[in-house]
Amino acid sequence: MTLLKSYYELCKPNVVYMMLICAFVGMLLAEESVSSFWYLFVSLSGIAFCAASAAAINQVIDRNTDASMTRTDQRPLPQGELSATHASIFALVIGILGALILYLYVNTLTMILTLASLIGYAFIYTVYLKRATPQNIVIGGLAGAAPPLLGWASVSNTIEPYALLLVLIIFVWTPPHFWALAIYRKDEYAKESIPMLPVTHGVIFTKLQIVLYTIILFIVSLLPYVVLMSGEIYLFSALALSTVFLYYSINLYYSNDDEDAMKTFQFSIYYIFLIFLALLLDHFIIIS
Amino acid sequence: MNQIKNLSLFGICMAFVVIALGAWTRLVDAGLGCPDWPGCYGFVVFPINEAEIAIAESRYPTFPYDINKAIPEVVHRYFAAALGLLAIFLVYLSFRKTNDKSIQGWSCFLLIFICLQGTFGYLTVSLKLLPIIVTIHLFGGFTTLLLLYFIYLKSRNFEIFNQINISNLKVISGIALAVLIFQIFLGVWTSTNYASLACADFPTCQGSYLPEMDFKNGFNLNQEVGPNYLYGLLDNPARVAIHYSHRISALLVTFIFLILMSRLWFSEAAPLASTLGILLLTQITLGIINVVYVLPLYVAIAHNLVAACLLLATFTVNYLAWKK
Repeated sequence: MTLLKSYYELCKPNVVYMMLICAFVGMLLAEESVSSFWYLFVSLSGIAFCAASAAAINQVIDRNTDASMTRTDQRPLPQGELSATHASIFALVIGILGALILYLYVNTLTMILTLASLIGYAFIYTVYLKRATPQNIVIGGLAGAAPPLLGWASVSNTIEPYALLLVLIIFVWTPPHFWALAIYRKDEYAKESIPMLPVTHGVIFTKLQIVLYTIILFIVSLLPYVVLMSGEIYLFSALALSTVFLYYSINLYYSNDDEDAMKTFQFSIYYIFLIFLALLLDHFIIIS
Repeated sequence: MNQIKNLSLFGICMAFVVIALGAWTRLVDAGLGCPDWPGCYGFVVFPINEAEIAIAESRYPTFPYDINKAIPEVVHRYFAAALGLLAIFLVYLSFRKTNDKSIQGWSCFLLIFICLQGTFGYLTVSLKLLPIIVTIHLFGGFTTLLLLYFIYLKSRNFEIFNQINISNLKVISGIALAVLIFQIFLGVWTSTNYASLACADFPTCQGSYLPEMDFKNGFNLNQEVGPNYLYGLLDNPARVAIHYSHRISALLVTFIFLILMSRLWFSEAAPLASTLGILLLTQITLGIINVVYVLPLYVAIAHNLVAACLLLATFTVNYLAWKK
């Protein structure tokens, strides 16, 4: 039972669930009404297996670094609950399983996009970007922003501009989200000489970047309304959420308390969840 | 119907002239150019030769006569009266030439409204330019213009309007109109309280992005009746509060209008979007020139007229969005 739990933890379930929610919203927005919930379930499970595989590969590659950071030292590999070999085989199996599900039951486009983001996160980000540049999470964020596109493509079998807009929202949201956490954990990153922005350019500069990215996010979050993709329910939700996010980031800029960084990080999670919920509500209330 | 169309179009032009004359009167501080109403120092037009001026000054010893201030006031009154006559004629035409109940109704309403507007013209003089009265008087002018424009739209039935479908812009166009009216209020309040020059620098105000401001007195709409409000009575921080609010609110207007314009653009109503954009850009430029070049007379009048154009354009978008 503990072994099962270790494998479950290896998949970073919280991150995967958040990605699945974003993919699910992409699927629901792709059509006026849901044609088959079974089909959505199959697509989601394919995406879920690939995302879990990427998370597991990340933990295998980073197992030594993870062991020396309090944020990650409870993970199954640093704890010795699983061996690197077993975890690698597990990652390979669920990765292939996910790709096969997408190829056989969904469509080739979704499979290619999903594998591309798996490679983007598990290899390009984890192996190279993370240690190469302070812009690591900005560039790497593209892989994490893919889920709505994957969901949308699984239904439409095309790359839709609206889907790319959702990707853009997550892409712009990722830096302020991650840097808020990085400020809170900067000492640990410094110890492992990972060039996170607060380590290389200082906390003040990072806070300024957070404010600037939040302003861009404010504008980007209004785009679904501007391009007639969404209606007023979304507009007012986005305005309210982005205003609160901007308040948190400006408050963080003027604060000396690291707890404010944690608060900003936590709000950013609610933010992305509620933005996608608002897109969904808006879509189905306008239709009905 | 053709005559109604032409008369209301002429009325729109007249209303613009009357609004411009009203702004001119305010900007050359001529609101009390004649201390009485409807005459001017008891004369039908205004005193011209020395003998008449002597009579005028003996009638109102506390108001020294200045012909440069009497002229704008009297010209404004007579043009406004002419617009009233036009409204009477419009009512007559609407009952003689058409059976359109809504045009008849709106024409009658226009006539009643212009009479009311004349009353407020009288009140601006008798209450010695009490800011709230002058403010309402300007809104009355804008409403008169809007009513004429509305009657014109009804009599005209533009073919091109039937090709535009922007029914999904109801809410945002309504918000834009509300925000614009609020901004016009702040602009008029700036003018009627003589706050246009309270901040001489731009974009800062008195060298600061957060100048000393007194909102309580600046936005006291219930000012005392009695004193002469020519040149304004508020303290500097109160005037700064009014002026700076108008600037900040301009940012809000720009933000809302950018959203509205983009949505118009994506609704394939790009001409409406560019009209709003050009007007907005012009208006902001005129506003900045007003501050930087210390309120040049013609720029200040133009700032007032472009505000009226923005109101008409935004009204048009609402008209199209809400039409059945």
